[in-house]
Amino acid sequence: MLNSLINIFSASEAGPTVHIAPGELFEIHGYAITNSIVFSWVCGLVIIAILAGVARRMTIRPKGGITQVVEIGSDFITGLLENSLGDRDKALKYSPYFVSIFFFIAITNIMGLLPGVGEAFTLNETPVFRAFTADLNGTLAAAVISMIMIQSFAIRESGFIKHLRHYFAGKLWNPLTYLIGFYELFGELIRVGSLALRLFLNVAIGEVIISVFSYLGKFFAPLTAFPFVFLEIGVALLQAYIFVMLSVTYLSLAIKHGHDDDHELEKTAEIMKI
Amino acid sequence: MLNHFAEMTGSVEVLGKGLMLGLGMIGPGLGVGLIGSSFMNAVGRNPESSKFLGQILVFVAIVELMALLVFASLFIIK
Repeated sequence: MLNSLINIFSASEAGPTVHIAPGELFEIHGYAITNSIVFSWVCGLVIIAILAGVARRMTIRPKGGITQVVEIGSDFITGLLENSLGDRDKALKYSPYFVSIFFFIAITNIMGLLPGVGEAFTLNETPVFRAFTADLNGTLAAAVISMIMIQSFAIRESGFIKHLRHYFAGKLWNPLTYLIGFYELFGELIRVGSLALRLFLNVAIGEVIISVFSYLGKFFAPLTAFPFVFLEIGVALLQAYIFVMLSVTYLSLAIKHGHDDDHELEKTAEIMKI
Repeated sequence: MLNHFAEMTGSVEVLGKGLMLGLGMIGPGLGVGLIGSSFMNAVGRNPESSKFLGQILVFVAIVELMALLVFASLFIIK
């Protein structure tokens, strides 16, 4: 009897199941559809339903419930934009994109912790649902789209030639200008990579930690993995905030003009009627 | 010595993985500790600067990226 008790409480020979690469589910016209893509469709529908429903119920007086949560989130991001860009109108012009990517990443991360996602439902031995951000393809797509949007915002703000001169700053007959300019452009690509890797690694390593601790506590798996689910919820929200914060910082760096100080001085002189 | 190790355990990758994990986590650990200590010093001098906690967490995430890269290359090295 003691033997069977030991078998329940000790871990078996096979290690914990860890998936880093996504599994393919079916094909459409030769494009492989993986489980992350299917999950991102489901999450997209959920987020559109939530946000469109909240937008319909928005009133001047504050209401409780989900409306207030979405309002808190969007106020937070708009305040962040206003601090970085320095101007309320510009912040309102650019805030729809940043608010929606904040909610998308936060809700997708949290939905990746639900009971049905992972090994529970399998189709030909691959899990049917898998978190979109626990897949390097997904986060790379989000980072590339963010960088494209930031560049197009900056070009719309300052014009194409001025934006290029932001990188190739200095006299044009100096060959060092071109060298530094290409180095800065390469730095933009590094930023895309670091944004994507940060989000992917935080979420994927969290899943690995949860699966390792579920495997170790064989019979008491829910008990041993429980604190790490709370850690993962904290990491999910923090990583969504950091993704948006860094994107906003890159946008403010790309928009910033050198002559902002003169504008401040002129505004102050106007006000004091000198 | 490496031959002896390979006879005992069957492969030498374990040595590489252990060394990489141990030596690689020194840097990010020290980095996060330095950030925390400077934040506490600043709050001690001027208690109003505790409103910068959000900014501090952003820097901690940038340092944590290095630690996570070390941990993730555990699964890449075969």
